[in-house]
Amino acid sequence: MQLREIIKILECKILNSFSNLDLEIAHGSGCDQMSDVLAYVKSDALLLTGLTNTQVIRTADIADVKAVCFVRGKTIDSKIIQLSEEMKIPLLSTKLPMFEACGRLYKAGLKGCEENGIG
Amino acid sequence: MTIEEIVKQLGLKSLTKYDGNATVSGVFASDLLSDVMANSEEENFWITLQKHPNTIAVATLKDLAGIILVNNRKPDEETLEKAKEEGVAIFSTTMFTFEICGKLYDLLREL
Amino acid sequence: MLAMAQKEELTKQQELIYEMRIGLVMTKNPVSVAPEMQMSKLREILQTKRISGMPVLENGFLVGMVSLEDFIECLTSDAMNDSVAKHMSTDVITLFENDFLVTAVREFERTGFGRFPVLNRETGELVGILTKGDILRGVAKKLEVEFHRAEKKRYKNKMHILDHVQADETRFTFQYHIVGNDFNRAGEAAGNLKKNLKRLGLPPEIIRRVAIASYEAEMNLVIYTSGGYMTVRISPEMITVNVFDNGPGIPDVNQAMQEGYSTAENRIRDLGFGAGMGLPNIKKCSDEMLLRSKIGKGTNLRFSVKLYGKNDDN
Repeated sequence: MQLREIIKILECKILNSFSNLDLEIAHGSGCDQMSDVLAYVKSDALLLTGLTNTQVIRTADIADVKAVCFVRGKTIDSKIIQLSEEMKIPLLSTKLPMFEACGRLYKAGLKGCEENGIG
Repeated sequence: MTIEEIVKQLGLKSLTKYDGNATVSGVFASDLLSDVMANSEEENFWITLQKHPNTIAVATLKDLAGIILVNNRKPDEETLEKAKEEGVAIFSTTMFTFEICGKLYDLLREL
Repeated sequence: MLAMAQKEELTKQQELIYEMRIGLVMTKNPVSVAPEMQMSKLREILQTKRISGMPVLENGFLVGMVSLEDFIECLTSDAMNDSVAKHMSTDVITLFENDFLVTAVREFERTGFGRFPVLNRETGELVGILTKGDILRGVAKKLEVEFHRAEKKRYKNKMHILDHVQADETRFTFQYHIVGNDFNRAGEAAGNLKKNLKRLGLPPEIIRRVAIASYEAEMNLVIYTSGGYMTVRISPEMITVNVFDNGPGIPDVNQAMQEGYSTAENRIRDLGFGAGMGLPNIKKCSDEMLLRSKIGKGTNLRFSVKLYGKNDDN
């Protein structure tokens, strides 16, 4: 699924200067605990999270997460945006809560991060 | 929608007693206690990977319908005990948050 | 082709000054003098050591800098019996050893000075001296590694880039200082390590495992200790990471290794950590792991990732 489609489905705002909307995303993950992201996320995934601190970006960088989307329209500190620019990670924000954001993407065909990649 | 319908449809494993006829008003997915405290609503099903005793306190305070532990998490002994004391229903699934939200989203929309 | 290669080199050089720390390239244990020494004694040092300036130390701490110019001034004004303290400049600009080279480059440009004393940020002690020459030598040395890498890549045998490690092992020991309780900067060390491993051309899956394990280790230090440091040694066979802190120590190491076991407070959990997955994660990512801890003394975590894994066709 292309990033542009995700942006459309979740009615996202793009928070940084990332502009390659053709970026291909193969998996989705919804998680607020960074160790679980590190342990299970696939390297071509979009991370949906309600956590809003710089560690989200650091984790994304370390685990090769392709893009980050903050849920529930939370205010994002400029420090976070700045770090995402440095790390070249696309940063999105949706007003939807985690449940609905995951739900919509799953329905649109985005896969989760389970080992076999199904369902 | 009732708890029983959801448990059946998603194949959730119940770890405590629960009232199958109790209604579920919606779903709240979060691993941040402060988030759940601030934003969850009464009779919400709470999807999380947090399994420590504090989750029970939050579920009780917010009158949640139950907790679904994702990624095959097993609750701490103390958590389970507290859940029984407070009458909080706990379920577990091998699915991750993303998948179970996806399936539940579908399920709730069909109705 | 050539123009492109040159351009790449230049960018790399620019990148390096953002990644390399002053401590890595500075001259350690520089010649220094005491403030009460007579100016006349400087002559011999300036001549034999062939330097044009040096730090003035009192009890190990920097109190000033004295230069060839100061010496010449004394010579012309017949003040050779004066103490160094009287003629040294006390308004000294210093650098810290864990600062990136880019800071030093900016200071050289801004001030036009020839050298800067380098201090340890925590103790304030003088640990070295930095000249422009030191920076150029340090960057050149690192680029040589890059050059080898580029050349080897042509032979499509990535793993052999590490052939020369044995020849100069120190080149491949990275050390990172980790500041305790600084949540915002947490993860910097692991991030920088990842960048360096990428630049060495190691397989992405190996890099990812080392990066994840190091990041978890770094977070543990930031959350639970007052800080420490991490050393990373890269040999042709494996990457070995050692993490040290000064306490408080882990009461029951076996318990701490269990998935989901955590002593974290809610505050930490709401920061996205402390769900008891950190140490199990490190174990999952590494081929070997050893955790040793003494209450009140500190903890040493060592883990390694083999470069020739099961999934590697080399």
